[in-house]
Amino acid sequence: MEVWVLFGTFVFLLLIGTPVAFCLGAASLATVLYLGMPPVIVFQRLNSGVSVYALMAIPFFIFAGELMVRGDIARRLVALAGAMVGHLRGGLGQVNIAASVLFGGISGSAAADATAIGGLMIPQMKKKGYDVDYGVNVTVVSSIIALMLPPSHNMIIYSISAGGRLSIADLFTAGIIPGLLLAITLMITAWFVAKKRGYPTEKFPGWSAFGLLFFNAIPGILLIAIIFGGVRSGIFTASESSCIAAVYALLVTTLAYRTMHWPQFVAATRAAVRTTAMVLLVIGSAASFGWLLAFLRIPAELVAMMKDLSSNPIVILLLINLILLMLGTFMDMSPLIVITTPIFLPVATAFGIDPVHFGVILVLNLGIGLCTPPVGTILFVGCAVGRISVWQAIRTIWPFYGAAFATLMLVTYVPFLSLWLPSLFH
Amino acid sequence: EVTLKSSDTHPDGYPTVEAVKHMGKLLEERTDGRLCVEVFHSAQLGQEKDTIEQTKFGVIDLNRVSTGPFNNLVEETKVISLPYVFKSVDHMHTVMDGPIGDEILEAFVPHGYVGLAFFDGGSRSFYNKVKPIKSIDDLAGMKVRVMQSDIFVDMMTALGANATPMPYGEVYSAIQTGVIDGAENNWPSFESSGHYEVAGYYTLDQHLIVPEVLVMSKISWDKLSADDQAAVRQAARDSVPVMRDLWVAREKASEEKVRAAGVEIVEEIDKAPFMAAMDSVYEKHVTSDKLKDLVSRIRATD
Amino acid sequence: MALVAMNLACREETLQDFMKNAARPMGLIARLALWLASAGLLLMTAFVSAQVFMRYVMNDSIVWSEPAAIILMGWFIFLGAAVGIREGYHLSFDVLLYFLPTNAKLWLHSVSDLIVGTFGLGMLWFGAQLMLSSWNVILPSLGISGAFDFLPLVAGGILIAIFSLERLIRRAAGLPTARFGETELEEG
Ligand code: NA
Ligand code: NA
Repeated sequence: MEVWVLFGTFVFLLLIGTPVAFCLGAASLATVLYLGMPPVIVFQRLNSGVSVYALMAIPFFIFAGELMVRGDIARRLVALAGAMVGHLRGGLGQVNIAASVLFGGISGSAAADATAIGGLMIPQMKKKGYDVDYGVNVTVVSSIIALMLPPSHNMIIYSISAGGRLSIADLFTAGIIPGLLLAITLMITAWFVAKKRGYPTEKFPGWSAFGLLFFNAIPGILLIAIIFGGVRSGIFTASESSCIAAVYALLVTTLAYRTMHWPQFVAATRAAVRTTAMVLLVIGSAASFGWLLAFLRIPAELVAMMKDLSSNPIVILLLINLILLMLGTFMDMSPLIVITTPIFLPVATAFGIDPVHFGVILVLNLGIGLCTPPVGTILFVGCAVGRISVWQAIRTIWPFYGAAFATLMLVTYVPFLSLWLPSLFH
Repeated sequence: EVTLKSSDTHPDGYPTVEAVKHMGKLLEERTDGRLCVEVFHSAQLGQEKDTIEQTKFGVIDLNRVSTGPFNNLVEETKVISLPYVFKSVDHMHTVMDGPIGDEILEAFVPHGYVGLAFFDGGSRSFYNKVKPIKSIDDLAGMKVRVMQSDIFVDMMTALGANATPMPYGEVYSAIQTGVIDGAENNWPSFESSGHYEVAGYYTLDQHLIVPEVLVMSKISWDKLSADDQAAVRQAARDSVPVMRDLWVAREKASEEKVRAAGVEIVEEIDKAPFMAAMDSVYEKHVTSDKLKDLVSRIRATD
Repeated sequence: MALVAMNLACREETLQDFMKNAARPMGLIARLALWLASAGLLLMTAFVSAQVFMRYVMNDSIVWSEPAAIILMGWFIFLGAAVGIREGYHLSFDVLLYFLPTNAKLWLHSVSDLIVGTFGLGMLWFGAQLMLSSWNVILPSLGISGAFDFLPLVAGGILIAIFSLERLIRRAAGLPTARFGETELEEG
């Protein structure tokens, strides 16, 4: 019965449009009251849910991303990507994807990626005769790359949801190959679609122009090197690297590019506070919700149920993937990570799946959910930037969904893709 | 029929987890199934600081925690967190099994908890990736991770090291990459955290021998009849020897694994200079007459 | 009957005027909260980079940077979240609402605001209880009372309750309220 109070209240409030953070909080409160326990527990969990040191990486990376978008770093990276892959079939589509690799590696936020790169690329693509839906499709699905490449704050959320015992550095490293693999499958898809629709290619601008673009983008690219170099050489920890990223972005945009002035700085700070508060309040409320799940022993029962269903890890993984994809279609990423990790991670480990590998599967899977209706934050952002309806976008997005799903299956069933790179550092 | 919910941050199978399970079994037998215990291990209900609050509010009935988080609440617990206050693990057992241990358990009551029993937390020693620590001078300037606690930070500073508080989860890669040089812990944690893979030197200086404690919520306690209260207290006491046997076995298994991995162990070390350096720490933290009296009585116990 | 209706319309008008006037001080509170939250983010950036600098360059770690950063984070999350209620930028699931007539939609928005406001009061009340129970605990490394841990929860709770109430009254008065992707609030 308690379980029904918990999930029933949650789903009801979700459906009537209550903000997700408060759906989680109020459902926990209702359940605690139903059980006759002191309500204070809900608020204590909310407070300790946001008082986690590793969570700091989220505001810092969001802040760094805002500074880079408003301080012109993102635009220079897109220009560089243009020179690198523009001459391939469907040139600007390829540029869009390559820019996601370059910029996504820095911002780690799919929404920032879709806004920044979509805002720059989609108008350009329109001008060159690409259909808008193609531009939106490519922008939206390639933003998932940002979730996979370090520094992805979603990996940090996963590490915390897994009880804080997983190394964030390992999770960061584990996402690299799957992220690049996704980029490749998307580029191949973009190539085929472009060929069918007869889209043009861009001319290679010549080595000297390329050199200039590269030179202009160096401070942006250096950020990746500084984060990785700093963490690997012991100057700072993985969570501290997020703070260094923000400080570095501030220094580059004020001192080197001279694009960051007081109004931009204030706007970036306020935007970072807004986004962070929104994301972290959900994480805090999910801590109450997760506590009740554990208290009611729901994960343990689910493990037992899954074990009855099948003893084959391949089947179990497929099942988990399907459930997650379904959940992902109607909920956002960070709350889903915090809610589903304590439920599915024990199931996965019970079937011998490495927690780091599972994290990569989870993030990729829920990332796909961000691109699918009815609730897909990146899809919304992409459609808003391209000024087309969600329906127009999803009518032609199928080949890209297919590519993302194929990558998900590869990443799921070939643990080597995720685990090989981190193993090199042990 | 009452099921007491019990929290532990250690994983299933850990000596403290098994001891509380054993206590539950005893309780069930002795009360004809009226009282039983359900253990939530692996920090399922939260970290120690959180579960301590939950215990106070009666959401959790039993809680196995380190004494550190109580230091700033129950003054008496400070004394057992002092470096080198116990001469050895045996000495600690003698003290905690005797009247001093009872006195400290009693001190929890005014704060909303009933202290039931002390469990072993092993003895904590230094490990690092740079060099074997053979004397106090080797610690000079070394970045050593400590828990976020004033006593431990002051202890490291007094030893000449650079005390660096850091979340436990980050310690492995921090040692590996050199953000810090080392940390300190007991055999089982040194092994299970994998820190021995990256920190090749372990010095058995045993600077801290801090017992852990099993407390019950005062709210839950008051709901029990006097008979049941006595049964709970007795079952908790009876779980202690079981816990100690399991601990010894666990410690030995961890030690074997660490030694097999080729970690260099410094076993013989002159502790006198280390203890001498602690004067300033004692001066700063042993301030009340109550604490001074406790320290001198612990020192006087054989 | 007509008189009652006129009376009601009149009252609605005064309520509208009242809430329009109230929008200015409420906007000021929200802006102040957002400034404080931004200052918290910047201070946190300063603390953590100072810790990296002191540890790596000076070999002298700052022991209080971690707990201080965590408390600051609590401040800007709860203050930012409260402002988010007024500005309507919290994530929500609006699919079902699209199929409902405006009237029903407004009613459901009010139910949501009522729940959010009540939860805010809970944050205030139980946050205060948590503050009291940790009053005598001294936070390690910071040396301040454990009550400070829960102060952001209480402050955020008050603001969430106030801003939800503002939304409820504005809607009752027939004024627009901000919502993710729908309306922008006029700057007060
Ligand atoms: Na993109
Ligand atoms: Na979706």
